[in-house]
Amino acid sequence: MSFLAILAGIFEGFGVTATITFYGMLYAVPFALVFGILQHFTAGPARVVVTSIIEFWRSSPVIILLFVFYYSLPSFGITLSGITVGAMALGLNIGGYGSQSVRAALQALDPGQVEAGRALGLRRLQILALIELPQAFKAMTPTFINQFIQLIKGTALVSLITLTDMTFRAKEISQLQYNPVGTYTALLVAYFLVCYPATIFGRWVEKRVSIEGRGQRDL
Amino acid sequence: MDMTSPQAAGAAQTDIAVEITGLDKWYGSFHVLKDIGLSVRAGEQVVICGPSGSGKSTLIRCINQLEQHERGRIMVNSREVGPKVRDMHEIRRDVGMVFQHFNLFPHLTVLRNCTLALTRARGMARREAEAVARHYLERVRIPEKADKYPSQLSGGQQQRVAIARALCMNPKVMLFDEPTSALDPEMIKEVLEVMTRLAEDGMTMLCVTHEMGFARKVADRIVFMDGGCIVEEAPPATFFDAPKTDRARLFLSQIL
Repeated sequence: MSFLAILAGIFEGFGVTATITFYGMLYAVPFALVFGILQHFTAGPARVVVTSIIEFWRSSPVIILLFVFYYSLPSFGITLSGITVGAMALGLNIGGYGSQSVRAALQALDPGQVEAGRALGLRRLQILALIELPQAFKAMTPTFINQFIQLIKGTALVSLITLTDMTFRAKEISQLQYNPVGTYTALLVAYFLVCYPATIFGRWVEKRVSIEGRGQRDL
Repeated sequence: MDMTSPQAAGAAQTDIAVEITGLDKWYGSFHVLKDIGLSVRAGEQVVICGPSGSGKSTLIRCINQLEQHERGRIMVNSREVGPKVRDMHEIRRDVGMVFQHFNLFPHLTVLRNCTLALTRARGMARREAEAVARHYLERVRIPEKADKYPSQLSGGQQQRVAIARALCMNPKVMLFDEPTSALDPEMIKEVLEVMTRLAEDGMTMLCVTHEMGFARKVADRIVFMDGGCIVEEAPPATFFDAPKTDRARLFLSQIL
C-alpha cells in the first residue's frame, strides 16, 4: 500500500472528524459566550455556580468525559450516540477554555467604555451588545482560532469511543498492513492538511477583524 | 448660535436643574463626600474645583449615578436619582457627560459614536440621527471627521467629538469631568472654546476643571471642595480675588 493510498484510506474518516468538529463548535461557541458573559456579570453565589460549571468542563480530561458519557451513562438509562458524546465532551471542554477568553476580553476593556454607554442612557444589555462585545471579539479572535484548531486535533480521541474518524481509520490500516510507521506518518500529514488551512483561515479572519476595528485608542 | 433652544423651554418648566441635599458617600470606610448640598439653576454654569482627592469627580458622577450615594437626595430635572431608581437609563438621557479620557467607542466611526444612543436609546431613525450628529459635529467644528475612527483623531478632536456625542442627546444638563486634563496644552484651547460657546448659549453646566481662566470667564459660580466637603461657594470674582477661607487661599496660591 503506497503512502498516498494510506492517506486516502485515512481520509475516509475525515467525514467523522469534520462532523465532530462542526457539532463540537456548536457546543463550544455558545457555551463560551454565554458562560464567559455570565461570569463577567455575576457576583457572589451565582458566580460560584457559573464558575463551577465552567471548571467541570474545563478541568476534566476529555478522555474521561468521553468514557463517562459513552460507557457509564447507559447504565443509568441514558444512551447517547458516539457523535453526540464526542461533540459535547470536546465542544464543552474547548468552550470552557473559550469562556475564559470571553471573560478576559470583556474585563480587559476600559471601564470608561461602559460608563460612556451608561451616561448616554443605554441599557446594560445594549452596552454589552453594542459596545463591549464588538470590542471584545477582536481580542478574542486569536484565542478562538487556536481553540478551534485544538478542537480539530482533539477529535482524534473519539476513535476511542468507536467512531471511525481519521485516527480510527489509521489504526485499522496499520493493523491490516503491519505498517505503523507509514500509517502514523500519513496520519500526521492528514491532520496537518486539515489544520493548516484552518490556521490560514484564522489569520485571514484576524486581519479582517483588526481592519474593521481600526479604532485602537491612543491617548 | 442656538445649541440650547430646547433647554430654554425646559427652564420655563422648572428653575432648578440639579438639587443635592445632605449627600454622603463612602468608599468602604473612606468618607468621600460629606453632607454635600448644592443647587444648580437651569442655565447656570458651575465650576467645581479643589485639590485632587477632594471628591469633585465623585460628586458629579453621583449626579448621573455612575457612582451611587449612601445618604442624601439628588434631584435631576425634578426627578430623584439613586441606586433604587429603576429607570435611571431614561434620566441619564437628559444628562450629558464628558469624561477626562473621552471614552469614545473605538470600534465605531465618529458619526456612529454620535448616533448610537440616538438610534438605540431614543429610537430615532438612522438618517434623522445622522442629521443631528452632523449638526453637532459642525458645532464643535469637525464635520469633516464624521467618517473617521477615534484613533485617527487628535486628543482635542476626540474630546470635541465626545462633547458632540453628549449634545446629540439634547441634554438639559452637561457634566464635565476634567475634560482637558488628559490633553496636550495646545489642544486644551480648542476644547475650552467649544465649552465656552456652549456656556454662552445657556447650557446648564457642571464642570470639574483646573482651568481657572475658563472658570473665571465662564462660571456663574465656583464651588471649592476639600476633603469631601464644599468649603466655599462664590461668584468667580469673589472667589479668585477675595477667597474667604484659608484653604481656598492656599489652593489658589498653589494653582495660579
